[in-house]
Amino acid sequence: MIENPFAEEPKPTAAWLWQVFTGVGLVILLGLHFIANHFVAKGGLRDFAEVVAYLRNPVILCLEVLFLLCVTTHALLGVRAIILDFGLSERTERRLDRVLKILGILTVGYGLMVTIMVIR
Amino acid sequence: MATLDSRRVSRAGRWLDVRRRRLGMWAYALNRITGIGLVVYLYLHLGILSLLTRGQSAWDSFVSLARSPFYLALDVILLAGILIHGLNGMRIALTGCGIGVGAQKAIFIVLMIVGAIALGVAALKIFHI
Amino acid sequence: MNMLKVPLQIFRHKPGQPSRYDTFTVEIPDSAHVIDAIDAAWAVHDPSLTFRRACHHSSCGSCAIRINGVEKLPCITKLSDVWDGRTPLRLDPLRNFPVVSDLVVDISGFFQRMSAAEMAITCEAEAFLPFTVDRFAVAELEPKAVELPADFSRFNRFEQCIECGICMSACPTMAADERFLGPAGLAAIYQARHKTDDSRKVAHLLGLADGEHGVWRCHSAFECTEACPQAVDPAGKIMALRRELIARRFSKLWGK
Repeated sequence: MIENPFAEEPKPTAAWLWQVFTGVGLVILLGLHFIANHFVAKGGLRDFAEVVAYLRNPVILCLEVLFLLCVTTHALLGVRAIILDFGLSERTERRLDRVLKILGILTVGYGLMVTIMVIR
Repeated sequence: MATLDSRRVSRAGRWLDVRRRRLGMWAYALNRITGIGLVVYLYLHLGILSLLTRGQSAWDSFVSLARSPFYLALDVILLAGILIHGLNGMRIALTGCGIGVGAQKAIFIVLMIVGAIALGVAALKIFHI
Repeated sequence: MNMLKVPLQIFRHKPGQPSRYDTFTVEIPDSAHVIDAIDAAWAVHDPSLTFRRACHHSSCGSCAIRINGVEKLPCITKLSDVWDGRTPLRLDPLRNFPVVSDLVVDISGFFQRMSAAEMAITCEAEAFLPFTVDRFAVAELEPKAVELPADFSRFNRFEQCIECGICMSACPTMAADERFLGPAGLAAIYQARHKTDDSRKVAHLLGLADGEHGVWRCHSAFECTEACPQAVDPAGKIMALRRELIARRFSKLWGK
C-alpha cells in the first residue's frame, strides 16, 4: 500500500493562537497608542520635547514596549501565513521561520534602540 | 485561467480574485490587503521614528509636514485599514474558536458598520485638530 | 415548453495540446438543467468532449464543475438560474485539481484526504493516483479492491457529503498549498472523531487536524460552506475542531 502523506500526524502548531492572542493585545495596546499619540496629544502629534516626556513615563514606556512586541509578532505571523499559502516544502518552511524570527528580533531591537536613544 | 495556471505564484494569489465570491471571501481578501498595508506602514513608521534620534529640528520639521491636509488624509486611510483589519480580526478570532460561525456574515456587516461610524467620527476629529 | 438556443463556452484540454475554449450553441428546453446542455453539446457537436455525470440528482457528486466561475452541480442547476439569455455560459473544470481532460479532473487527492480520516475507500486506485497541481498527469488506473476488515464499524460513509470536490475547488488555500487537508479532509476528520469513543483514535484524528496544514491553515473565507451543495458546512466543522483543540490545549496548561 502506498503511504498516504495526509495520514501522518504532523507537528502541532500554536501560530494561529499566538496571532489571535497578539491581535487581542493590539486591540487594547494599539487603541491606547493611537489615542495617546493622535487624540490626546495637542495638535494630534507630539513634538520632540513631548515625545521625550511621554516615553520617560515608566508606565507609558512599558506599554509602548509591549505594543512593539505585540505588533511585530502579529505582523510577522501574518506575513508567515501569507507565505505559507504558497505551498512550501517542510525545509523551506523551517527556513522561513528562522528568517522571520531574525527579522522580528531585529525589528524589536531597532525599536528599543530608538526608544533608549530618545529617552537619554 | 486558473485551472490551467500551474504557476504556484499565481495560484497562491488567487485569493485576490473575489469576483462571484461571497461575503466571507471578501472579508478574507480585505483582511489580507489591509494586513499587508499595515505591515508596510509598520516598517515605514519605524523608519520615520529614526528622525527622533537626529534631534529636535529633524523631528519637529516632520511633525509640521505631518499636519498638512495630505498627510491627515493618509492618516484617515491608515485608520480605515486599522479598523477594517482589527474589527474583522475580532470576527476571525471569534469564529475561529467556533463561536458565532453561523452568523459570520451578519457579524461582518455589523462590525463594518461600527467601523465606518468610528472612522467618520475620527476623520472629523483628525481634520479639526 | 419553449426551446432555447444556448451558447456554451466550454474549457477544452487534451493531454499534449494547448488549452482553449470552444463555443457550442445547443437547442434545449427552457426547463433543462446545465448537465442537459453539456449532454447536448457532446451528442450534437463534439463527442470528444469529456465530462462526468451519473445520477442526475446530486447524490453521486460526479458532475461538479464551475459555471460562470462558480462551483455547482450542473445536474441540479437550472439553465434559467445561471444563463442571462445572451452571453455564452462559461463552463470550467473544478479548480485545485489537475485537469485530466476538458471538464474532468483527477480528484484522487480528495480521496487521499478522506482516507486519512479513515473514511471507507473501496478501491485503492481512488486514493492513490498521482496527485499534484503542478502537472496535468493522466493517471494510470489500476483498480484493486481494498480488503475491508471484519470490523466494519470503523468505516463510515460521510453521511451528507457526496464527495463532489466542490468545497476543495472553492477554497482559496487549496490553490497552492498541496499539503492542506482542505475543507473535505477536515470535515471528514470531524465526522470520524464524533463517531468514535476510542480515546486513542480521537487523539490521532485531532492530531491529524492540529498541524500547520490542518485546521490552522484555514483563513475563514467560508467559501467551502457557501459552495457545498449538500449543507455539509465544512467551515463550521473546521471551527468546531479548532474549538476542541483550543480547549484541549487549555486543559493541558491547567494540568487537567
